[in-house]
Amino acid sequence: MRRFVLALAVVALAGCQQSKPGRIGVITALTGSQQAFGQAHDRGYEIALEEINAAGGVLGKPLEIVKYDDQSKADIAAQGVAKLVDQDKVSALIGSYSSESTKAIVPLVARRGVPLLMPTATADNVLDNTQGWSFRLCSGATDYANSMVSFWRDAGMPKSVAIVYENTNFGQANGAAMKKAATDAHIPIATEESYTAKSPSYTAMLEKVKEKNPDAIYFASYLLDATSLMHQSRQVDLNPRYFTAAGTGFSTPEFPTADKGAGKDAEYTFSVTQWMPESKWPGSAEFAKKFQAKYGSVPAYHAVQAYTALKVMAEAVKKAGKWDATAIRDALKAIDLPETTFGPVKFDARGQNLHPVLVTQVQKGQYQIVHPKTEATADPILPTPKWSGR
Amino acid sequence: MHFVQAFLNGLLVGGVYALIASGMALIFGVMRLVNFAHGAFLMLGTYLSYYGWVLLGLNPYLFFPLWGVVLFVFAVGIYRVLVRRVMGANDFLQILLTEGISLALVGLAQLVFGADYRQINLPIANRITGFGSLHFSVGYILSFAVSLLLVIALTQFLARTEMGRAIRAVAQNRTVAPLMGIRVERVSAITFGLGIACAGIAGALLLPIFWTNPTVGAPYTLKSFVIVVLGGMGSVQGAALGGLLLGVAEQFTAYTWADRYAEVVNFVIFLLVLLFRPQGLFGGKA
Repeated sequence: MRRFVLALAVVALAGCQQSKPGRIGVITALTGSQQAFGQAHDRGYEIALEEINAAGGVLGKPLEIVKYDDQSKADIAAQGVAKLVDQDKVSALIGSYSSESTKAIVPLVARRGVPLLMPTATADNVLDNTQGWSFRLCSGATDYANSMVSFWRDAGMPKSVAIVYENTNFGQANGAAMKKAATDAHIPIATEESYTAKSPSYTAMLEKVKEKNPDAIYFASYLLDATSLMHQSRQVDLNPRYFTAAGTGFSTPEFPTADKGAGKDAEYTFSVTQWMPESKWPGSAEFAKKFQAKYGSVPAYHAVQAYTALKVMAEAVKKAGKWDATAIRDALKAIDLPETTFGPVKFDARGQNLHPVLVTQVQKGQYQIVHPKTEATADPILPTPKWSGR
Repeated sequence: MHFVQAFLNGLLVGGVYALIASGMALIFGVMRLVNFAHGAFLMLGTYLSYYGWVLLGLNPYLFFPLWGVVLFVFAVGIYRVLVRRVMGANDFLQILLTEGISLALVGLAQLVFGADYRQINLPIANRITGFGSLHFSVGYILSFAVSLLLVIALTQFLARTEMGRAIRAVAQNRTVAPLMGIRVERVSAITFGLGIACAGIAGALLLPIFWTNPTVGAPYTLKSFVIVVLGGMGSVQGAALGGLLLGVAEQFTAYTWADRYAEVVNFVIFLLVLLFRPQGLFGGKA
């Protein structure tokens, strides 16, 4: 009997939706295969938190963030919503890192009535079924593909494109987006290949791509697979005019390094990106400098997205004037911040922030912006030299 | 030509599979133990070779015997403390124990090494060689060559040495072997140690061409099951051939169909063999 009463009490307590003021929940991939990106997130959040609290916190109190590690897995991310909202009583959520994990939490936050800001998920289906509770800070897969095609328009249209993507939500979405963008631009699709990111060897797949002799390749890959793909492209002597990619693995500071990425094999690859330390948005250079001083490395765009996401959320709470989930959601809907480190932030009716995309190329181990022309820091090196001539 | 390339790449990948599965076949054949912790020991091998390289500059291709010895000793210890107790017990207890060992090792690795992925940059492993239009990664060739030599050494050890004969005797009949003066306990401990050393060395050889994290071993446990069944339960030579076959099957699947279906094909082969040739593709002893 006593146990029964206790159980009832636990259930009753868990049912309490009263949030504790001052808390924002953060879900990201602190461990697992996407740990490099989760770590970038984490560092971005930490810098933002420091700055917010140094400036007096939110609504007169220091801000507190509660972190939850989704271990790079969607099912664990889904459990995080319950943990953060029911146990830790957060009033708003930011996360997660991957499209796969983010897709899993979008319906859950809508059911609980808690606003969610998505810093990095590029698959466009994360904006389905948000019921007005989710907002996306970054550009999506369609923007990525369109920007790459726009770069090709300037640099010379490829005669054909091969699309190679990892087989989860992120890769599938970006693969599909490129297929549509290329078809709209009348570029023939040479082949479409999807792979599991844990395969020990991609050589057979790359041989198949090579047989189709594509003029351009568009990868949608995380870091470890991006590294293997480039090493093994050299192995099978795959020589398209353009190696291009949908950001992510191909646009991390680790990727051009020999210890944690593809090293020299990363050279000449093009990738879309959402932000660079050289971006002209206010505070970009300062953020990069602060990040470098604190962590000893150049920040990836994922870090600045997390940084900006927390700032935007804090701003929304201030606008709402109270720690109330519904009020914060309404404030997010109306928010208009023309000058953040990540560029202007304003959400459309679907909850999408209209964010411009840059195209970079690895040149001598450094990322250079090569498109659009107004932002460019270098000219693209084309065509990509053959492996035998490098 | 690409078919030839896919075939040869499959053989290269399959060489490492052959080594992993030989270890599992040995343990199963002699001890009748289904080792669910095989992949976890492989993972330990990857970390030994990772830290050996990063902290001490020990090249995995030269120092793999050292990592094999370390794992052999560790495995003999595990045998004496834990595995010994379930020898001859029913399958369910054995599965629970080895799965428990696996969970404990993976969990400990997560605590000690962290859950993040690691890779090493070994210049020789990234080099490319080839003839005509065929290209090969030197890393894969080295891992294949070392694996195959070890599998051959293992079969020769079993066939020609006194200890090898003792191991085979225990495999044939656990009850009669001690009557012939064979110390079954000792033979079992050594067999377990050898089988685990195979997995560990395979891990050490995989690291330069792959990456590692605490859960890296799990797929290899499953692959080993498939291979051991392919080769005829418990036959080391069969497992070696099965490993090569599985490597080729995976690469052909990726080449003709799609990389993401490689695992599907693995398990379809597994089911077909169980259905139509349960004694294994290569005959295999009972």
